[in-house]
Amino acid sequence: MEYVNPLTGFRLDGRRPNEMRQIRGEIGVVAKADGSALFEMGNTKVIAAVYGPREVQNKGQQMDGQALVRCEYSMANFSTGDRARKSKGDRRSTEISLVIRQTMEASILTHLMPRSQIDIFLQVLQADGGTRSACINAATLALADAGIPMRDLVTSCSAGYLCSTPLLDLNYVEDSAGGPDVTVGTLVKMDKVTLLQMDAKLPIEMFTDVLQLAIEGCKAIANYIQEVLLENTKKLECMRGS
Amino acid sequence: MLQSKSFVKKTKQGRVVKVVREHYLRDDIYCGSVICKVCDTSSARLSSAASAILIIDTNVVLHQIDLLENPAINNVVVLSVVLEEVRNKNMAVYNRIKALCTNAMKNFFVFSNEHHRDTYVKEMVGESPNDRNDRAIRVAAHWYQSHLGGSTQILLITNDRENKKKAIEEGLSAETVESYVRSLEQPNLLDLVVIPTSLDVVKEEFDDPRPSKRKVIYHEHKPMSEITSGLLHRIYHQGKLRVNRYNPFEGYVGSESIGDEIVIYGRVNMNRAFDGDIVAVELLPQDQWTEKSLIVVDDDEDEEDDVHLVPSSVDDAPSNANVAKAFAGSAPTVSSRPIGRVIGIIKRNWSSYCGSLEPMPLPASNGGVAHALFISKDRRIPKIRIQTRQIGNLVDKRIIVAVDSWDCSSKYPFGHYVRTIGKIGDRETESEVVLIENDINSRPFSTQVLACLPPLPWSLSSDDLANPHREDLRHLRVFSVDPPGCKDIDDALHCTPFANGNFEVGVHIADVTNFVHPGTPLDEEAAQRGTSVYLVEKRIDMLPKPLTEDICSLRSDVERLAFSVIWEMTPNAEIISTRYTKSIIKSCAALSYVEAQARMDDSRMIDPLTTDLRNLNTLAKIMRQRRIERGALTLASAEVKFQIDTETHDPLDIGMYQIREANQMIEEFMLAGNVSVAEKILRHFPLCSLLRRHPIPTKEMLEPLLCTAAAVGLDLDISSSKTLADSLDHAVGDDPYFNKLIRILATRCMTQAVYFSSGDLTPAEFHHYGLAAPLYTHFTSPIRRYADVIVHRLLAAALEIAKLPPIFLDGPRLTEIADNLNYRHRNAQMASRASVELHTLIYFRNRPMDTEARIVKMKANGFIVFVPKFGIEGPVYLTSKGDKGTDWTVDEAHQRVTNTSTNVSYCALQTVKIHLEVVEPQPHRPKLELTLINM
Amino acid sequence: MMRELHVSLNQTQKVRLQAAFQHLSDIGSQASSGLLVSVSDTIPVNNEDGILKGHGTSERDGQVVATVCGVVERVNKLVYVRALRARYKPEVGDIIVGRVIEIAPKRWKLEINFSQDAVLMLQSMNLPDGIQRRRTAVDELNMRTIFEENDVICAEVRGFQHDGSLHLQARSQKYGKLERGQLLRVPAYLVKRRKQHFHDLEQYGVDLILGCNGFIWVGEHVVPADNEMVEDQESTLKDKEQSYTPLEIRQNICRIANSVRLISALGFAISVDAIIDTAEASKSSNVDIKDMLGAEFYVQTAEREVQKRISLLKKKRG
Repeated sequence: MEYVNPLTGFRLDGRRPNEMRQIRGEIGVVAKADGSALFEMGNTKVIAAVYGPREVQNKGQQMDGQALVRCEYSMANFSTGDRARKSKGDRRSTEISLVIRQTMEASILTHLMPRSQIDIFLQVLQADGGTRSACINAATLALADAGIPMRDLVTSCSAGYLCSTPLLDLNYVEDSAGGPDVTVGTLVKMDKVTLLQMDAKLPIEMFTDVLQLAIEGCKAIANYIQEVLLENTKKLECMRGS
Repeated sequence: MLQSKSFVKKTKQGRVVKVVREHYLRDDIYCGSVICKVCDTSSARLSSAASAILIIDTNVVLHQIDLLENPAINNVVVLSVVLEEVRNKNMAVYNRIKALCTNAMKNFFVFSNEHHRDTYVKEMVGESPNDRNDRAIRVAAHWYQSHLGGSTQILLITNDRENKKKAIEEGLSAETVESYVRSLEQPNLLDLVVIPTSLDVVKEEFDDPRPSKRKVIYHEHKPMSEITSGLLHRIYHQGKLRVNRYNPFEGYVGSESIGDEIVIYGRVNMNRAFDGDIVAVELLPQDQWTEKSLIVVDDDEDEEDDVHLVPSSVDDAPSNANVAKAFAGSAPTVSSRPIGRVIGIIKRNWSSYCGSLEPMPLPASNGGVAHALFISKDRRIPKIRIQTRQIGNLVDKRIIVAVDSWDCSSKYPFGHYVRTIGKIGDRETESEVVLIENDINSRPFSTQVLACLPPLPWSLSSDDLANPHREDLRHLRVFSVDPPGCKDIDDALHCTPFANGNFEVGVHIADVTNFVHPGTPLDEEAAQRGTSVYLVEKRIDMLPKPLTEDICSLRSDVERLAFSVIWEMTPNAEIISTRYTKSIIKSCAALSYVEAQARMDDSRMIDPLTTDLRNLNTLAKIMRQRRIERGALTLASAEVKFQIDTETHDPLDIGMYQIREANQMIEEFMLAGNVSVAEKILRHFPLCSLLRRHPIPTKEMLEPLLCTAAAVGLDLDISSSKTLADSLDHAVGDDPYFNKLIRILATRCMTQAVYFSSGDLTPAEFHHYGLAAPLYTHFTSPIRRYADVIVHRLLAAALEIAKLPPIFLDGPRLTEIADNLNYRHRNAQMASRASVELHTLIYFRNRPMDTEARIVKMKANGFIVFVPKFGIEGPVYLTSKGDKGTDWTVDEAHQRVTNTSTNVSYCALQTVKIHLEVVEPQPHRPKLELTLINM
Repeated sequence: MMRELHVSLNQTQKVRLQAAFQHLSDIGSQASSGLLVSVSDTIPVNNEDGILKGHGTSERDGQVVATVCGVVERVNKLVYVRALRARYKPEVGDIIVGRVIEIAPKRWKLEINFSQDAVLMLQSMNLPDGIQRRRTAVDELNMRTIFEENDVICAEVRGFQHDGSLHLQARSQKYGKLERGQLLRVPAYLVKRRKQHFHDLEQYGVDLILGCNGFIWVGEHVVPADNEMVEDQESTLKDKEQSYTPLEIRQNICRIANSVRLISALGFAISVDAIIDTAEASKSSNVDIKDMLGAEFYVQTAEREVQKRISLLKKKRG
């Protein structure tokens, strides 16, 4: 299968290898939540809702020095083409929940909110590859919206390696090609990687290229998220008036 | 700009799934014309010199690819929609158009119309995909027209009448292929134009030479929907048709659904399928499962066996397991094998074929359109009907012809002339035919490939010396032994005795991977060629000459880089330790087998080199003995050797290749080296090592051997390679050649060894039957085999000298490489054989002679003889053709043919005297004929 | 907690609203001088020494960076980021409204939109009999007669205990249980700290409490009864008599409550003036209470706010 057309250099959907899908972020989509956001990467659409910091529900988990961060990832039944019933606590969701929790926890200044709990709920509305990345980006937006202090913006993007070419932001078709899929989460300004996952094998020389590409993708997403946040802050401040 | 593509798809499990895919439309796709002022012209390919820019539609690419490849056709825009359609319909054509688009000599430009903002076309309601694509092509043509603003003419080339009409209505210029080619005023080009047989072509252009015969000859193919449902319900069976190389009226379809081969007899049952086509087959009722393979009276073509070289393995020989059974009676017997007929073709395997025109009287008016029948060299291919305007030119030429269509009312398929190779019978022409037939690339290396070579003259650099991974072994007494005149010396040896009586034995192999780096054009070219090809009069190299003959070749008295395997061995040839290293060596002597043998045999010579040779020979004999005890087969082949006139390249003499002890000595150490390397790489890379295996022959494959052996009262035990080897050892007849003959017969029953990736099979399947080795690979000839290059890289990675190239991690890709190597290897062998056959024919052209031959197989009207002196095999007819009422009866069980009236009888393995002569039954068709000299 | 009402606007309303929002953002960017930052933005401090980093800031490579989105504020050497949408950050003396979640030994736990539940100790309450004395075990058993679960309470932030919990106190007549009204939850940043958080809207007969934590109480006006304990029995009798709230008052409560909802939905700062203004406007333009949350009044309110701010800006300049 030619995932990159050797003659035109375009991918199946018309992107160049180093191009990301169209991204879009929207803040404040869940009225009840303290913070919420919708994030789209192409056809992948994810909604994030953040509750808290609030009283710890299960007193046994309460920590005196820091906040408890919880995360729940789920996929809507209608998120994929075949409309299969998605069980909630399956292995994959549990794993992704854990990964996202750890990634977000690395950025949240949990010590500022002791004895409290922060819940992050992520729901995939439409899945087309890169749900993990989209979830992390949505969670970042939602956390910022909830006014939860963070070290830096966490953004995530994936990259793969198909047809001897590093590809940015794989969609479902490319993802199912069975090639390596590197998902990276970064603290952009701090230049730190908080998440790095890969399926399949990749030689180390290629890996650095692919990783670099994914990091570039993260930077681009961070710029966009920054813009969205600033725009939102500006709107809130202006509406509130002095 | 974003467009969503959404469609509904049915999955394999039968569930219906809606698929939504993004489709980005861009504004940064350039038109590719040099003269364009708006676009970035850095990658432009369309020149300003040509009068028009051509835009072609899918069918033009699919059917007229031979025309497009002609240098006269230039400045073509290939739209991505066209490319995509071509890929879906015919992968072979797709690869060719792809090559055209990247060819620097041709100005073919790919325009991504599907992703361009202005040329993307959305499917309209009720529009068929075909109409939509045609519209997309027209829209793109329009875009070009307005984009380039009339500075160049945009010409849409289509054979679709409707499309052309619409295009002209929309204000585009459009032409059919034929009218465009006519406008170029190069009459010879017209031969390349495929005349479409579809309905929208004017009928009068199509005049069948025999209108009265325009009746349905073949069954209509079943529609695809019916085939699919038939396959699903197991009424039909799908498989690849393989036509018997020696009997084009017999084909086999390996079917997974019934787990057996379905035999197909006759052209009517084959129903226009070609060798290699994927077909759907329907089984005939069981009572019609009759054998008709012996005497084929299906057709008016005279098909008979030619004299040919002795097959060296079962892959080269006709699949004739059933032939022996059919000897029992002259009446057709009911076969146990399913027999079927083709009812539809799922995927065509048409390509172009090499051959000549059937001799025919020249038409009176020269220059007009003439119809001719083309006969392929490959006998599996039926005759092909072509149209030409240059019949006078082509009659005595070897030409290439491509197939276009095969109508069910036509006896033969229609095709078109592609190009001329040369005069029939000409040695150069025929050699080229051999290369083309075996898909061997004999073109000179491209400049990109040559650019990868190190600067010449090459010599050892200080960097090489300083390399910590490279051991300096220049002090060792290294030497090589090869056939005389060998220039590509892959391997060299050394043997140093230790004080404790042990020996240090080293095998030094040219370090090709030091010069051929993965991913370079040089590497890709070598991977594609796969192997060097040895023809009688020339060699087609895998690597460019400077590498093959100089830089890599381990010539004497020069410092060369090598990859060494060094053992410590006891005098009993037990390996105590093995070590692998990159090295620098300086060979002290490049001996030929004859020289080496002479040195060893001459007891007066006691110089160190000769002593080394003798030591090695002693070790090799022990190793060989041990190997044979393990069950390795000593097989024999009937290789022949030509003496070639250096001026004319014509063969002067011909004879069997003599195998000496020196040959066996070198072979033994090469085998040992290969085995050691195979063990090493497999230990490090259990999933991606390239190994070589030799499957255990099945009982059916050995059937002909057993049959012949039984006829002469020999009992062979084939339960394992060990027992077979022992039985072969005991098969001693009354004459010295008997044993060798049996071995030759045994060899031809084996399949060939094949390369494979260790990740694809289980360790039990790694076994090499012929060598009785659990693991084997090729390491010792990297100059002439690409497999060895791969193994060198694996070994270097295993030693952590170099990193493993990423390609090894791509399982399917590795399998693809192994398959290609097998294909190339086999083709190279076939080409060598064909070359020998060709030279045999040339040799006998002026030298009719009488010689001795051995009968190897009985036929209904004669027998097949083997001529040991020349290594050839061919039929001897006891009765003349067409004479059905014979006095000869065949006794299958005893492989004996007896004349009932004269009581003369012949039996298998018997020696007979025959006469060899080249005859020319038809002009330009010389062939070697064997006739029995009555004693 | 309200976020953009789901109003279905027609085409002209959409355009009007858009224009109003545009005006507001124009005015906003003219008026506010504060620097807006989002997470991980660096805050320029011109290499000043001895900068104190306050809330919402942190340090990276020697630079001050924001950890939340908001407005940069400076008080002398202190730099902090005033977060907008965030949970309530209590300060001592804040008047808050909360809801009882749980009754624990000697204390009530209240939900006040903070990262933890707030604690109201029994001893931080005036007893019903008004006598200052040690709390007895009986008092403890009778805690439910004072506040039950789900009761809405008004109290004052007393401060953080050393264990990190937030304590409240309600030792005043003005604090205590709130009845006969509606509790509204708005984002805390919309309520500014002021001198007065209790408002008696006489013309409506309604009490309005703007809790600093974003909880807003709109209820029937209660006459502060100083002599409650004297005429204990009488008052209970009176309570029974007045055990219903007159319809008109109830309507007023709804009107005020809807005003609050509307203002908060639009994201305007919530003040008594704004609430009354909105309520009056609805009345004067004969908008039914139920229609106050409809599209037309929504747009009108936005437009009125624009006018208000323009005139304010003029006054400032003029």
